[in-house]
Amino acid sequence: MGTARVRIYEDLRTVQRRVGVVQALVALVLAGLLVYFWHLQVIRGKYFRDLAENNRIRALPIPAPRGPLFDRKGRILAENRSSFNVVVTSERKDGLGGALERLSRLISFDPAEVRERLNNTQGPRFRTVVVKADASDEDVATIEARRLEEPEASVDVVPLRSYPLGVGLAHSLGYVGEISDRQLESGAFEKLEAGSIVGQAGVELQYNRELMGRDGLRRIVVNSRGVEVTEAERKAPLDGPPATLTIDLDLQAAVVEAMAGKSGSVVAIDPNSGEILAYLSTPAFDPNAFSSGIKASEWAELLKDPEKPLMNRPIQGGYAPGSTFKLVDALAALQERVITPQTKFNCPGYLSVYNTVIRCHKESGHGTVDMTQAIALSCNVYFYNVGIRLEIERLSRYAHMLGFAQPTGVDLPHELPGLFQDPEWKMRTQQARWFPAETVSVAIGQAMSVTPIQLLRVAAVVANGGKLVTPHFMKAVGGRPVDFPAPKDLGFRPEVIAAVREAMLSVVSEGTGMRAKLEGIQVAGKTGSAQVVTHARLETNKHAREYQPHGWFVCFAPAENPKVAMVVMVEHGTAGGTSAAPVGGQILSRYFGVRAIGPGMTPPPDNPPVEPSPQPLRAQVAPPSPALAQARPN
Amino acid sequence: MAIDRRLLFNIDWGCLGAALILMGIGVATILSATFAGRNTGLEIKQLYAVALGLAGMLVVVSLDYRRLVDRAPVLYLAAVGVLVYVLAFGPRIAGTRRWFMGPGGFQVQPSEFAKLVAALLVAKLFAEAKKETLGVVDLLVPGAAVALMAVLIAAEPDLGTAFTLVPLFLTVAFLAGLRVRAIVGVFLVMMIVGSLGWMFALKEYQKSRIYTFLDPNLDPRGAGYQKIQSEIAVGSGGMAGKGYKQGTQSQLGYLPARHTDFIFSVLAEENGFVGVVAVLGLYMFILWRAFETAQMARDRVGAFLAAGIAAILSFQVVYNVAMVAGLVPVKGLPLPLMSYGGSSVLSSLFAVGLILNVRMRRFAN
Repeated sequence: MGTARVRIYEDLRTVQRRVGVVQALVALVLAGLLVYFWHLQVIRGKYFRDLAENNRIRALPIPAPRGPLFDRKGRILAENRSSFNVVVTSERKDGLGGALERLSRLISFDPAEVRERLNNTQGPRFRTVVVKADASDEDVATIEARRLEEPEASVDVVPLRSYPLGVGLAHSLGYVGEISDRQLESGAFEKLEAGSIVGQAGVELQYNRELMGRDGLRRIVVNSRGVEVTEAERKAPLDGPPATLTIDLDLQAAVVEAMAGKSGSVVAIDPNSGEILAYLSTPAFDPNAFSSGIKASEWAELLKDPEKPLMNRPIQGGYAPGSTFKLVDALAALQERVITPQTKFNCPGYLSVYNTVIRCHKESGHGTVDMTQAIALSCNVYFYNVGIRLEIERLSRYAHMLGFAQPTGVDLPHELPGLFQDPEWKMRTQQARWFPAETVSVAIGQAMSVTPIQLLRVAAVVANGGKLVTPHFMKAVGGRPVDFPAPKDLGFRPEVIAAVREAMLSVVSEGTGMRAKLEGIQVAGKTGSAQVVTHARLETNKHAREYQPHGWFVCFAPAENPKVAMVVMVEHGTAGGTSAAPVGGQILSRYFGVRAIGPGMTPPPDNPPVEPSPQPLRAQVAPPSPALAQARPN
Repeated sequence: MAIDRRLLFNIDWGCLGAALILMGIGVATILSATFAGRNTGLEIKQLYAVALGLAGMLVVVSLDYRRLVDRAPVLYLAAVGVLVYVLAFGPRIAGTRRWFMGPGGFQVQPSEFAKLVAALLVAKLFAEAKKETLGVVDLLVPGAAVALMAVLIAAEPDLGTAFTLVPLFLTVAFLAGLRVRAIVGVFLVMMIVGSLGWMFALKEYQKSRIYTFLDPNLDPRGAGYQKIQSEIAVGSGGMAGKGYKQGTQSQLGYLPARHTDFIFSVLAEENGFVGVVAVLGLYMFILWRAFETAQMARDRVGAFLAAGIAAILSFQVVYNVAMVAGLVPVKGLPLPLMSYGGSSVLSSLFAVGLILNVRMRRFAN
């Protein structure tokens, strides 16, 4: 390029002069702009300030109603009703003057609490705050009549979540509430803003995204006091899609009735699909109380209630399965060919093993029993022997295979996995070796913690011929079916399942579960008791309710073609046969429309067997007796 | 590529400092305009863009501007190629095709950089015409080159950026010795082209913008809305402003594009006339230095390049500020250095870099 060399001879004077012209021109224009801004901001500032005050446009969300929830037959479980919120709009923190106090005298609310919420809001000074949610008609009339005197107050119509069944479905449906500051910060709900109503528990939380609609928008022009002058634009909200749940209201009603006054859990599923037909955790709370914001005092009350109404027992309650675990023993032992259904052991009322004597619940002993009898009568000694022969590794493998110590995958939030003690667990948590005597305790359902819904799956495995199901609530959202993992075949031989089914039938027909007997429909079941205090402690106060063991009953019916599998857990109900089995019988009789003919329901049979309560085991360090280890059944 | 040490002493630190202060004010204002909205964290993205821009500026400064100008034809062809590509294949965003999608969803607005390439090319073409005075005929080649680029940008459509090429062209042509008679002639041609464009090329929404500019109350909810609201925002700021993050107009969220094209509106509302004087003063300082650079330049190429870029920046600042005050129709034209947007920040910094470049090499060597 030649420019570099020519440069020296370039005459730049014209260029420089003309640059000066442009430079001056730009400076002039900028100076002119400054003068105009002076005019706009300083001379006419007052005029524009008034315009800004008087001509504000505000965007307000129109809350979208959540999708309604229906049971499997289309009956309403959760809906939205119109409710009125009294709100105040504050333009300045100090701008409300005595308005809050005047209003609080009219419709009774705590002005200090509202003022605090107003002051806590960040950023812009303009904010609408609910002073009274779900206001009564009188409150609404009072406010409307004083629109001129108290222009800051107005009435919003909002959809309010309502649960017609209230307490009965509290733990399955959950409840909704305003998104909390913590949830906003943690980003638990994506793209939602303060003030959004979201599911806070149960199905409402699990399917929050699906059930929420999209809020609409209203652009309103407000004056300097924040009072709406006119509406400039309206975008209608998009309603949340309706959802169909697997719940069967008929069965649910029967469950609620049968559990009245008791604490515990009942879950019933279709054993073939895992669809949850009924689900109860009791005592519970009224989910409707949360919809419009629960009062702090009510919340505190729920939190400190010793009966723990907020706990979702079927998925969060960890209990020892007690004798119901004998189903796992039997399934494992038969499948592993450790025993056959005909294998007999003698029960003299105790078993002497590993240098210690462990007792059966029946002191005189059950005599020589086979597997069916052992399950029907819940003989501990029989299953001590089975456990010793299976050994802990196989017991642990089958327990895990049947879903212990892991969440079932039910579509509810905050499910707990439970716990299963085995050598691996003990080494990991206590850095200690496993003692063979502990296996005996595992065999009768101690040393583990299961949730009712986990135990229910074991009953369903027997009911459906060996498949582990994923219990679930949701059938379809907005007409689109919701998918869950297909039932998983665990590979049990048909004769194994058949033998356990036979044993479970005899539990109800002539064993510990007789109180669940129905007329014309065969029920298969297993009872159990979960000890809550040591035997010695129970002796000190035999009748204290909190010392009583929890009663279990797992069952399915009709036995030949199971339509329902169910778990009943009555906390501190004492033996499962006397506390949980009658509840099961009552529910099933209502559901199938047949008479319950168990003892106590109709004239009692001669000698209803007594449900065992498991004996405390003192695991002592001792090598297994070689003779016993080599003993073979039959 | 290494910079001669002596050149560092000649960098215009004042001009660079003023640019940094403006960008700082811009980031703070972006934060104020967006912190309460849905889309937060933009000020951080802007800081990244500034950092990237400063790095790029270092490269721009280290290359002798004469070598850059020598490459102008190649750069021009590349720019035209990218503009055509964007028009043909670019993603359609809000009814326009302005964006070049880079890998990883990175978006670049090529027109922001095309105008700098145009400045390089115009400087080269006019510097090569070694005449004391220029007639209309001498404008044909550079004029056609600039017009092609302007048409491509206008077709996106991005009328604002396309328009910045006009003051660039006129300024450099004037410096190169265009006769006053010719200037009048060019003006006439532009008037004719403009009215033809009004009749045939402008879309309905663009026409309605100009109509409503003339009478905003024709459509207070639509195209006149921004002008009215921005004017209210600026005016209600008064002498001292409503305070940082306290602008009612901005915070209520009815100033569209308040962190991009209308950032000055937020600044004027929240910081009042005092803030306006400070920021316009800083722009004045930068632009004054830029034209001063053109006068100091060692050669015609340098003078034309500095003055051309100064003209682009001046036009953008003046138009954007006048638009915010409601003096001219609303056009999508960012305020250099302050508006949110990576392409705009980078392009502004490169522009400042080119001016520094000319100034620091003003002594013969």
